[in-house]
Amino acid sequence: MRQMNEMSADVVRLTDVRKTYGGKRNSVVALNGVSIGFGRATFTAVMGPSGSGKSTFLHCAAGLDRPTGGAVVVEDQNLAELSEVELTRLRRERIGFVFQAFNLLPALTVQENVTLPLRLAGRRAKPELVSRVIEQVGLADRRKHLPGELSGGQQQRVAIARALVTRPAVIFADEPTGALDTRTARDVLGLLRGAVDHAGQTVVMVTHDPVAASYADRVVFLADGKFVGRLAHPTAEAVAERMTHLGAWAEREPAGAR
Amino acid sequence: MLRIALRTLRFRTGTFIATFLAMAFGAVIVLACGGLLETGVRTDMPPERLAAAPLVVTGNQDYELPKQNPDDPEEDAETGTLAERVRLDSGLLDKIESVPGVASAVGDLTFPATVGATTVNGHGWSSAALTPTRLTAGHEPGPGQVVFGPGHRLGERVTIVAGAQPRTFTVAGLSASPDVFFADPDATRLAGHPGRVDAIGVLTKPGADLGRVEQGVGQAVRGAPAVVLTGDDRGVAEHVEAGKASENLIILASVFGGLAISVALFVVATTLGLSVQQRQRELALLRAIGSTPGQLRRMVIGESVAMSVFATALGCLLGVPFGQWLFGRLAAAGMVPEQLVFRAGWIPMLVAVGSSLLISLVAAFVAARRAARTRPTEALADAAVQRRWLSAIRLILAVLCFGGGIALFIVTIAVMTGPIAASTAGPSVLLWAIGLALIAPGITRVMVGVLRWPVRAVSGTAGYLATLNARSRTVRMAAVVTPIMLATGIATANIYLQTTQVAVANQAYAENLRADLVLTSSTGGVPATFVDQVRHVPGVAAASGFASTTGYVAAPYDGSQSEDGWLIQGVSADGAAETTAVKLTAGRLADLRGDSVVLPAAHAKTLGRGVGDTITMKMGDGATVDVRIVGLYPGREGFETLLMPADLVAAHTTAGLPTQVMVRAAPGVSTDALAAELTKLLAGRPGVVVADRDVLTAAYAKDQEIGAWINYLMAGMIVAYTAISVVNSQVMATSARRREFGLQRLTGSTRGQVVRMMFVEAGLVSVIGIVLGTIVSTTTLVPFTLVTDGSLLPHGPAWLYLGVIGTAAALTVVSTLLTTWVTLRPRPAEAAVAPA
Repeated sequence: MRQMNEMSADVVRLTDVRKTYGGKRNSVVALNGVSIGFGRATFTAVMGPSGSGKSTFLHCAAGLDRPTGGAVVVEDQNLAELSEVELTRLRRERIGFVFQAFNLLPALTVQENVTLPLRLAGRRAKPELVSRVIEQVGLADRRKHLPGELSGGQQQRVAIARALVTRPAVIFADEPTGALDTRTARDVLGLLRGAVDHAGQTVVMVTHDPVAASYADRVVFLADGKFVGRLAHPTAEAVAERMTHLGAWAEREPAGAR
Repeated sequence: MLRIALRTLRFRTGTFIATFLAMAFGAVIVLACGGLLETGVRTDMPPERLAAAPLVVTGNQDYELPKQNPDDPEEDAETGTLAERVRLDSGLLDKIESVPGVASAVGDLTFPATVGATTVNGHGWSSAALTPTRLTAGHEPGPGQVVFGPGHRLGERVTIVAGAQPRTFTVAGLSASPDVFFADPDATRLAGHPGRVDAIGVLTKPGADLGRVEQGVGQAVRGAPAVVLTGDDRGVAEHVEAGKASENLIILASVFGGLAISVALFVVATTLGLSVQQRQRELALLRAIGSTPGQLRRMVIGESVAMSVFATALGCLLGVPFGQWLFGRLAAAGMVPEQLVFRAGWIPMLVAVGSSLLISLVAAFVAARRAARTRPTEALADAAVQRRWLSAIRLILAVLCFGGGIALFIVTIAVMTGPIAASTAGPSVLLWAIGLALIAPGITRVMVGVLRWPVRAVSGTAGYLATLNARSRTVRMAAVVTPIMLATGIATANIYLQTTQVAVANQAYAENLRADLVLTSSTGGVPATFVDQVRHVPGVAAASGFASTTGYVAAPYDGSQSEDGWLIQGVSADGAAETTAVKLTAGRLADLRGDSVVLPAAHAKTLGRGVGDTITMKMGDGATVDVRIVGLYPGREGFETLLMPADLVAAHTTAGLPTQVMVRAAPGVSTDALAAELTKLLAGRPGVVVADRDVLTAAYAKDQEIGAWINYLMAGMIVAYTAISVVNSQVMATSARRREFGLQRLTGSTRGQVVRMMFVEAGLVSVIGIVLGTIVSTTTLVPFTLVTDGSLLPHGPAWLYLGVIGTAAALTVVSTLLTTWVTLRPRPAEAAVAPA
């Protein structure tokens, strides 16, 4: 397996990250020595069949979960050295999230949801910045609405706005289009692509959709907790082809899957 | 952060209302108990008959119990309340009248006077000035004359029984008062205690400084066993029983107030815990987008405290009328005099507010600990099923609770005797309940495992799904099991404590009563010479006077004496052996004459005295009497009674006369025939009736029932509170499963199938809760019944228990099914995608 370190230019770097679940007798290896770096202003899609360790990878890289072994470094800060509170602070200042579902607090309006990370950090939201971000995702006329009054795609755009508002070093997206129709999905992916191209944002997206992956600069493939390949300037067709191959490969060695 | 929390409130109105109710009702009960406590402590009774006297001097009803070491200032002196009226020496009247500012001092006499079937209070005419009672017609009473109330006319001749003797008087005047007034010399004779008065009303000169007069009167009576009352305290002089009633009220209110606070803590903590559990995803999302654990902790605590402020305010608003209502019930049952004024001032208010806020804060800390532990990845996980529940703190607390419970168990069996064994019941129930609640998830898992097979066997698919749910959600299930356990445990334990106590007391009373017939008086007593007359009636084998009071052993030091003192029964030496079941192990009952006493053998041993020795008794009216021990008997534990001559006991009671005569029929004489003979003797004595022993035991049982009823009332209040939390938690837990129900229906379940599944689940929850509740009550009841009765099973009908568990199961099932039905209303697709 090739090393994909681009050294100090990387915003996020994982070195030999391992993660096992369960006790001694029934342990499951979810990540089996993963190393990768994500450069500034890049858009990476992480793909793999179910149980390949995609979600665990995302959780470890984003500091939501602590790896069993190896190091995760975000902007030269090794996450293992941080306490839970420090880790949370780093997360809210430097990392943005977009999840598949249950992204927003249903009781807060669009604007309040977007400014929530700032408020959690005890910072005052600059009105013009907030307006710009909300406009950027095309929800300027919906800022007083509650999430329940929005469509799925619109909700996902609010989540992207929330991820952008802190100007994080990196945005992690977990199946952001998983619950959306094709057209809305295209809007959302366009937004992420735009953030990378125009604002120099770094985006890491876990997906199983080849079309979604084709918006990325590169695709990396996970199977059985290891990286098993990469594809630069992907097209949907190429990705789909590779995934079919991966699926067959995973079926051949089903052990240790998660 | 708090703002966010409050904003989200309207999206979880169900849990909000549940928590709010738990907090508010907790505050209501604590405040009501606090009010009863303050009422007891203050004993405010506005005077009625003594209203015109700004100062009232009355006997001091407090008795400071002797200390083991009188010279030890560290040793706390306990204070008892004397059971009979402590009268004042008439000589004090002159001393008080010589105080500057005093216009006059009136010695007040109050004694029962029976006219026909009604008994009113009789007084001397000089007492009329203390109300004041004015003549509406006629003139002041002279010798042989009375002033009577409405319903009589001038010149009418009435037969009045007072001092156990019927006499005829002429109505000389009329007044608006229901009482009857005699000429002062007549009153002194009828009251039966010349030289002593019941109370002294002090009338002041116009313009006199009340404070200064009070001081002067206080100095004048110094050395006498007297207290000077002013304001609303004066009513106590009219109702000597108020002191004892207040003391009982204080005990009752503290016991149940303490229980209420612990239960409220339990209920609020459970409800808050459940609500935090249900917000797991929201909390996890907040964690993922950058809330620190501390921020979540502060959010949960802040939100709970904010909620608690409003809930407590509402509770305080409702608590005062509720306390008033409770007090009304207690007064109606005769436990407290109706003239006592219910007071819920700022102190109970402060206690209720403080304890409610503190309860919420403690409960919030517990819930917030869990909230802060939320891992951000839970926002991404699909199902939030909690598996880990046993933490070190939980384990340590559980071990402590069980340790405490076992210690109480042992203490109750080893140290406690008789009825006081009930005093460990309250804390015992709570310790076991909390201990079981702490390990409830584990127990639930085991019990679900055991119940799985029978449930599946009888309920098919619904049972299959229900047991699967139960197995994978033991933590959540345990949270709804605990209120059921608590309600069942508290209800069962309290009910059977009372039924057992009543049964054992009735049994002890009936065992001790050997008389066939009893002559009782409704006019304050029977004359002392009456016993001899009864004894000479043909067919009477034995007759004994009877009087009872409460007294204290003043010397030697009595280590077994509580502030409640000892029950003293007065019996006649000649008839006691036949009319009571007392069998002496030393000495002779026939020697029970003059200043003498028969003690329970164990009591004599504690005192280190035997037959022939002398002990000093403080009688109910405050008099000190040296009595010689003439016999010992093996008293039933917990029901020990001192026996003294009936006339000695009667002389130190408020009535001054024996209240009953116990009669044993001669062999071969039927009770009916004897009753007829005795009725002839009673022809000239209105107010004395013949009753057989059943009437007597029934009357005793009725008194016991009143005491038990009061405990039912107070315990019922707390059980009702836990019942609310049973419903609360069922509704919360069920409505949180909207999404799950939706998904299940999308997979092909009909509404009916979901409802059936929930029916089985609710059944499982009830069974587990009821079993645990029964364990809790058993651990409390067994030591108690062992001590009082020597048996493992409590007394009392089984349907009470069936009623308790039936109600608990019905509450659980109905609240679950209703909520399920409401939750199933939206279309399944909507419910399935709704935020959890």
